[in-house]
Amino acid sequence: MASLLWLQTGACGGDSLALLNAVSPSLEQLLAGYSIELLWHPSLSSGHARRFDHVVDRILAGEQALDILCVEGSIVTAPRGTGLYDPWRGRGKMDLVRDLAERAGVVVAMGTCAAFGGVHAAPPNPSDCIGLQFDHARPGGLFAPEWRSRGGLPVVNVAGCPAHPHTMTQTLAALVGDLPIELDGLNRPASHFSTVVHQGCTRNEYHEYDIEESQPGGKACLFFNLGCQGPMTQAVCNSDLWNGVSSKTRAGVPCFGCTSPTFPRDGDLFRTEKVGEVPIHLPLGVERPRYMAYKNLARAAAPQRVRDKEMEP
Amino acid sequence: MARIELNVDLNRVEGDLSVQVTLEDGVVVEARTAGTMYRGFEQILLGRAPRDAMVITPRVCGICGTAHLYAAVLALEQIWGTPVPPNATRIRNLCLFAEGLQNDLRQTFLFFTPDFCHPRYAQHPLHDAMMRAFEPFKGEVYRETLAMTRRVLEIVAHFGGQWPHSSYMLPGGVVTPPDTRRLIACRAALDELQRWYEQRVVGARLEDWLALDSADAYFAWLEQPVPASSALGLMTRFLRSQGLHRLGIGTPHMLSFGVGCDPERWGPSQDAHLMRSGFLDGDSGAVEPLDTAQIAEHVRHSWFRPYEGGRHPYEGETVPDYQPGSDRYSWAKAPRYGDRVVQTGPLAELLIGGDALLRDLHAREGAGAWLRQFARVRRVAYELQHARRMLDELGAALHEPHFIAPVPGSEVDGQGCGLVMAARGALGHWVRLRDGVVEKYQIITPTAWNASPRDSAGVPGHWEASLVGLEVADADDPIEIGHLIRSHDPCLVCTVHFAQAGAHAGAGRRLVVGA
Repeated sequence: MASLLWLQTGACGGDSLALLNAVSPSLEQLLAGYSIELLWHPSLSSGHARRFDHVVDRILAGEQALDILCVEGSIVTAPRGTGLYDPWRGRGKMDLVRDLAERAGVVVAMGTCAAFGGVHAAPPNPSDCIGLQFDHARPGGLFAPEWRSRGGLPVVNVAGCPAHPHTMTQTLAALVGDLPIELDGLNRPASHFSTVVHQGCTRNEYHEYDIEESQPGGKACLFFNLGCQGPMTQAVCNSDLWNGVSSKTRAGVPCFGCTSPTFPRDGDLFRTEKVGEVPIHLPLGVERPRYMAYKNLARAAAPQRVRDKEMEP
Repeated sequence: MARIELNVDLNRVEGDLSVQVTLEDGVVVEARTAGTMYRGFEQILLGRAPRDAMVITPRVCGICGTAHLYAAVLALEQIWGTPVPPNATRIRNLCLFAEGLQNDLRQTFLFFTPDFCHPRYAQHPLHDAMMRAFEPFKGEVYRETLAMTRRVLEIVAHFGGQWPHSSYMLPGGVVTPPDTRRLIACRAALDELQRWYEQRVVGARLEDWLALDSADAYFAWLEQPVPASSALGLMTRFLRSQGLHRLGIGTPHMLSFGVGCDPERWGPSQDAHLMRSGFLDGDSGAVEPLDTAQIAEHVRHSWFRPYEGGRHPYEGETVPDYQPGSDRYSWAKAPRYGDRVVQTGPLAELLIGGDALLRDLHAREGAGAWLRQFARVRRVAYELQHARRMLDELGAALHEPHFIAPVPGSEVDGQGCGLVMAARGALGHWVRLRDGVVEKYQIITPTAWNASPRDSAGVPGHWEASLVGLEVADADDPIEIGHLIRSHDPCLVCTVHFAQAGAHAGAGRRLVVGA
């Protein structure tokens, strides 16, 4: 039986609520099927009013094993490095995270806030937020880059705002089920972060032929003008659909790159930054001159049904 | 006399909440409520492109992001005078109701009823039935709630791509049109939820359940075996056996911003809703038209730079001034309507909206914890009805526009507000644009009204008042406080000004004998 404790720091609760939407496996399947003992979840645990305090005391005293520590939310360090804007028992909750992490078999950052700082760390970062082992894209957050949990892993970054439900439950299942976990350069499970959001988007045919929208509400691609980060963002959104039915880009909402350490970026989130007519940020790994040559050819080759935007995304 | 001061950290609420109460001989004589976390969302928005609020503000709250998105888009549309096509309003409403259905069911059966599976109640005659239905992760109703709320959120995903945290409402409409596939898929999700609600939650067909219009009719009906053994029937019988219909009354004044927007009558300078907005004056019992000029926030007992009296959100300021150890004790501001403390939520929404059964129950017994929770479950019926109406209207207007781009030059500077009835009650965004970017952003959340600290005149907030008089059987495990506070569906993450409750938060209890 593996023990799991879920802690919320500077959080909106969105990762926990997304977690409840998972089906393969669902949270209840994960707990039962993988024999996980949920020591504590702030939204779901019940019982004695001081149960959480007791669980923490027992873990810190070495009387209760902690196999998996999940942290949801930015690490709040304000004011002046005390963390008291997010307190627990008169200390910063960041101290509690540090203490529990030292005893945990593995630490999992659930969501972009815990991984990289996230939306709360956007300028002017009013509560001085950082991630567990990153500060935005810079290695080192609450923990130094070389820090490892008892089981030998750095903090596993299940990024996303919120994290995709299955990226959460499947990562936990892999950890508990002793499946190998390979991490990418941002310590995200490669199994769930090796594809881009663009892959599987039902607007791809429009992208392919360079038929782009300049206003929201249309059928075509959102990359060139409306700020879509799908071709640069690694996540399963279009290969494992949200709520089982869709994704933001399918529905016509640009991808904001929420699994990236730079989320949310500083500029206008619904506008593509360009130099001349060319977006500054091109699809992952693409060379600028070749891309433009390809796009010009593609636009010329576009079939009429795509030019006329007859295809439902 | 034994005087005890308690700090109770509450979970199964959205966010971190600390309630500080003083007990005399086991009875609450004074209470202070404080959220315990500060993130500073309003500051993050300053200087950003106005539409960025559609991405940033849903992330204020993981459980009611659709409501924040709706409020944010209405505020910009008011400033810019942007027309909104009826189909866009229908889709916005549909998604708001789907989120509300999710919230009301998860709050009731994942956050609220687990309280009553506590070992304290092991000898209660209904205990076995309560455990069978509501035991966390095991109870039948608990597990079905997980499945059903997942299903209904598909509706938001059809139009917004995902729930939570999408940005599918933009000034001028929504990004996805209704089409045959989506409408039929949404209808299937709604049908499934409605059948479960009828059979499992209330034990009656929706029309028959909504037709119950008096307390006498309801209690007579509750004697029948099917409604009595339904989830709501069980919860009602248990809560009333504990006297929870008489506890947790708090302020008599209530506030609603109105349910959804009326698709045909909504647009610049029009204000019409599917159920009316208003202020219920608890002293006279009259419902008055909503007057937003009455809304003011006080900081006398909050850790912000002091100012006199209350300020309207357009005039408000949020300048931190952390003074632990003073008589200021919270990062929450104290919103008031005129000088009155108000509560908001499903009960306020339906009393002001005119539900006859709730009005009769309210007239007889007042707004106790049971009625507040009962109203949340009753609202599910209205949400189902309103959502179905939106789907029907969309089907009849399938090819009408869902988005009209704002005309060039219309995106001017100015100020505006977006008011919606979120799952937890009245939510407002007050926005000022200058030089094309956000200059000021003030949010008053439903929980800010309910969880308010004392105001300039020293008058306690609604929760603080509603706890006074409560008997606490075991100061080490004060579950009664949890019952009352959770009946308000608290959302502390939403209450964006909140920060820590003070150096003593969570420090345990001090016992002062003979004080």
